[in-house]
Amino acid sequence: MGEKYILELIDVWKIYRMGKIDINALRGVNLKVKLGEFLAVMGPSGSGKSTLMNMIGCLDVPSKGSIYLDGHDISKLYESDLAQLRGRKIGFVFQQFNLIPTLTAIENVMLPMIFQNIKREERVRKAEKLLDIVKLGDRRYHRPTELSGGQQQRVAIARSLCNDPEILLADEPTGNLDSTTGQEFMQFLRKLHTEEGKTIIMVTHDREIAKNADRTEFLKDGKIAKNI
Amino acid sequence: MRIDEIKYSLENLKHRGLRSFLTILSIVIGIASIFALMSFGMGIGEYIEAVAEEAGSDKLFIQAKGIGAPGTDDNFFLLDTDVDFVGKINGVKEASGVYMKTAEIEHGKDKKFAFIMGANPDDMEFVEETFVIKIDKGRTLKKGDMMKAVLGYSYQFDNKFFKKAIKVGDKIGINKEIFEVIGFYDELGNPQDDSNIYITFDAMEELYPETKDKFGFVIIRSEKSEKVSELADRIQERLRKEKGQEKGKEDFFVTTFEDALATFSTIIGVLNGILLLIALISVIVASVNIMNTMYTAVLERTKEIGIMKAVGARNSDILWIFVFESGFIGMTGGILGVLLGYVISATIGGVTAAAGFALLQPVYPLYLTLGCIIFSFSIGAVSGIMPALQASKLRPSESLRYE
Repeated sequence: MGEKYILELIDVWKIYRMGKIDINALRGVNLKVKLGEFLAVMGPSGSGKSTLMNMIGCLDVPSKGSIYLDGHDISKLYESDLAQLRGRKIGFVFQQFNLIPTLTAIENVMLPMIFQNIKREERVRKAEKLLDIVKLGDRRYHRPTELSGGQQQRVAIARSLCNDPEILLADEPTGNLDSTTGQEFMQFLRKLHTEEGKTIIMVTHDREIAKNADRTEFLKDGKIAKNI
Repeated sequence: MRIDEIKYSLENLKHRGLRSFLTILSIVIGIASIFALMSFGMGIGEYIEAVAEEAGSDKLFIQAKGIGAPGTDDNFFLLDTDVDFVGKINGVKEASGVYMKTAEIEHGKDKKFAFIMGANPDDMEFVEETFVIKIDKGRTLKKGDMMKAVLGYSYQFDNKFFKKAIKVGDKIGINKEIFEVIGFYDELGNPQDDSNIYITFDAMEELYPETKDKFGFVIIRSEKSEKVSELADRIQERLRKEKGQEKGKEDFFVTTFEDALATFSTIIGVLNGILLLIALISVIVASVNIMNTMYTAVLERTKEIGIMKAVGARNSDILWIFVFESGFIGMTGGILGVLLGYVISATIGGVTAAAGFALLQPVYPLYLTLGCIIFSFSIGAVSGIMPALQASKLRPSESLRYE
């Protein structure tokens, strides 16, 4: 046995049917991600980045091919099993932050733990700790609308870490942040990678941002390409 | 369902406060109507039961086959010999004829029409038991009471039957003849019966000489061991033969007290049923309203549903969040509806009591309150199931893209 791969995509296809036409969003993607690796996936718009993110994040299943997450084939799981799996093993950071507007910062951070049946005291303790780490301890009872973009993204990262996931999946995480806040955020992500050993997969179209990763893969027309 | 999911649901209801309020209002109206109608329906039911219990289950009547108030059909009468005949039928303990007429009653300058009943003073106890009347003030009729009358409950008060109240010892006019008031009966619960006047056979025959020994109404008490329905058939058969009438063409019919009450209950039940049906329709409209609100909520929160699924929510978690929300709308509507229904029925009950309709009084058994709340919660939850199912089946990858 060689190195341990936390994630392995083998000939993954995703075909969407639009009326009578089949659209191949992914066309035989092969990708391996090592445990503790920081991978950036780059590609132009329409290259299949979002579809690939959905597959890796267990938000969707491939039309063909297999995806192994921590050694288990997830390509044929039912939605409820996928939900449990992504809640436990994957933390999401979205470009739009995607916080629930009616919930406070701490409630947003606690949300994934609710679905993992973690007791309330434990949830509060963990959420407070994570908000302290992202330096938002004093903003825990603020709602998303009362926070800046950078602060919202930090709440989102605290939320993504609450179930101690194996993989952190960041989809254009700095896309809605100004450059200074974006750089600060990337430093935080790198720190997580180097100090905590988190596996991070980040989708971006920004070469500068991608430089923070250990390795960059390029996606073009639904396939892994050498460059774009 | 966990406390945090409940909290999330409540936050959402609060977030769209006006819409939640209007949806709740629609169910409040329906439940309030149901609660008020049922409280009256049950009140009437209890009243009928109480009357039946007081009158006992051993009473029967003979009255004219036809329309109009019992005993007032001038073409129908039973002679005193018929009453004697009925009294001798096997199973009959006692039988007593009752005269019934409408007469003009005068008090001071006030003149009004009312029912007067002429009863045999020897049978007063039997008559009072049958008509469920008890002396409230003064005394009952006795043999030799010629121009004396016992009045219904309403006469004792100003502006209830007459403008001025009547007291024991006062004089009133019945068809221009002067009668002394010797007593009052207790409240029966409807203004019609509470304005009856009771006099003796002799007094009645003095007022209406042509009706002597011709009774419009006969009351019967059965022997204890007798089945009243079988006795009713027997009396019907024997009296038909005695009067030489063909089967099916009798001008009279024998009914038991229970039958009479059952008929009354059925009429009330049908009326109440129709009103309840109308109220139920309003609840159905409210449930469509809840469904509409929930579909809108699912649409508005498509992205939130996607987020929750991305962070690990299962289809069942989403389902329960939405079913709880709609159920909560239903339950809140139910609680407020019960409160509003209580206020409405208590107010109407107060008005009807003041108007002399003691039978129109609402009752509030605990199961009515709980039943209404559980019913409205169920209506809410059921209305929310379809939108909730739609929400739970949303694909996370697509809902996350929804703007």
